[in-house]
Amino acid sequence: MAAPEITASPLLGQRQLTDEDIARAHDRSRVHHARAANKRGRLLWLLVGPGLLAMLGENDGPSMIGYASDGAQYGLGFFVPFIPVLFAMAFVCQEMCMRIGAVTHRGYGELVLQRYGKVWGWFGAGDLCLTNLVTLVAEFVAIRVGLAYFHLGSGVAVALGLTLVLFTLSGGRYWRWERTVLGLAAFNGLFLVVAIIVKPHFGTLASSLSFSPLPHGSLNTLLLLLASTIGATVTPWMIFFQQSASADKGMTPADVRHGRYDTALGAVLASIFGIGALIAGAALLHSGSGIQGFAGAGFPAALSKVAGSAAGTLFALGLIEAGAVAILTISASTAYAAGECVGVSHSFNTSPRNAAVFHAVNVGVALIAAAVILIPGAPLLSIALNANVLATVLLPVSLLFVLTLANDRELMGPWVNKRSTNLIGIVVITFVGCCGAAYGIDSFLQTVGLIGS
Amino acid sequence: MSEEERREAVVHHAPHPEQELIMHLEPDQLVNETFRPVPRAVLGRRALFGLWALRIFCVSVSAMVLYTFVDRLN
Repeated sequence: MAAPEITASPLLGQRQLTDEDIARAHDRSRVHHARAANKRGRLLWLLVGPGLLAMLGENDGPSMIGYASDGAQYGLGFFVPFIPVLFAMAFVCQEMCMRIGAVTHRGYGELVLQRYGKVWGWFGAGDLCLTNLVTLVAEFVAIRVGLAYFHLGSGVAVALGLTLVLFTLSGGRYWRWERTVLGLAAFNGLFLVVAIIVKPHFGTLASSLSFSPLPHGSLNTLLLLLASTIGATVTPWMIFFQQSASADKGMTPADVRHGRYDTALGAVLASIFGIGALIAGAALLHSGSGIQGFAGAGFPAALSKVAGSAAGTLFALGLIEAGAVAILTISASTAYAAGECVGVSHSFNTSPRNAAVFHAVNVGVALIAAAVILIPGAPLLSIALNANVLATVLLPVSLLFVLTLANDRELMGPWVNKRSTNLIGIVVITFVGCCGAAYGIDSFLQTVGLIGS
Repeated sequence: MSEEERREAVVHHAPHPEQELIMHLEPDQLVNETFRPVPRAVLGRRALFGLWALRIFCVSVSAMVLYTFVDRLN
């Protein structure tokens, strides 16, 4: 995987400069000119991307259906303040990833593999592939739910998802890919519009800020809610994606401040839109209709009956957007990880001929997930419900390596974590680990009959 | 040869219009530099034990979640 030694030989010197270098240098030159001219707005516009995409990508189909389902089942209490708390946790983790990517110019997969050995690198990539495949299936299911509202079937969902992956890859530039997906991700705001249309009671909204009332139900139900809601905000793919995308974008230590703005903006928007989906779901709280979030047209159809067809239509479109953006970002994170672990070119700035593994995995993983939803009788509902839980259970190891890398003075120099960041990081890892483990162990013991439900 | 000197060598021999452009990249941002592996870190026994313990714990809990998932399918 090591590149040949660079010497001052003219011939070798010319060979060192790749198309990827040129493309990245173009992007960097615009950043340099904006910085030199002190154009703050332009600089921010050029540097936002990876953080927004990681956060809005995580407001994916299963997450939005999950928030709406929580609202429909338990109302607004507890979840309205809990969602921002989780996104604040996500910000702490993603800021570290962005900083590591900007300082080292390397993705998470290759850094773990090179710094801590192949075993840990491949374990991380294995976790990622498993959770990404399951999540991608859930994304296609979410698109199918949205399309079902317009009387369109699984075939259209598959065609739409795969066409988007191929279309965004066709530009051969990171910048174009990022801006196309950002354009799509803006439609995550549809959930906020739906929340306004359903006219929430502001008194209830304000009183829910006190984390009460707590959701009712058995301990296992509460643990499932916690684990799946955590899995809706912090996941392994976000770690791989933001670090690799920051490096691919060409971010440097000088851009860390704007990277923080980007990540914070993503966290705030994702939090607002997530609460939008929760409020939309809460409109169905006393409707008495049995909501099957992933079955048929599910939520959009139920919302349409309660709050009018505009709410149903926008919620359905929101689900299609949420699934589509997540398919693009999750496929990209898998492709980055594959390229980094195999040790071959892994950039949107490289052509398919020069980065065959990267492009093949990007399309291939989406293709496999698409094939699953076309299997008659496949347990799509169960897969979609378990996607976030599995991500939560496997997350602590990835987070621990992020924390270790962010404290590696040899790699990070003066950009290592502050003590306060470490403290928050440890609290986040412990919290995520305990919630995931508690649900996994409790469910298992119930299943084998060692404890009652 | 330092990173800066290596970049100078690359930039110097690049076609003219690209010379100025490449100066916008940091030396270690060049593709060939990113393929140079970072040195291996030495993990202490306690750190390794902690990592393996967490890894085994996470895999065990994942297996429990998958078992429950399959069982509930039936």
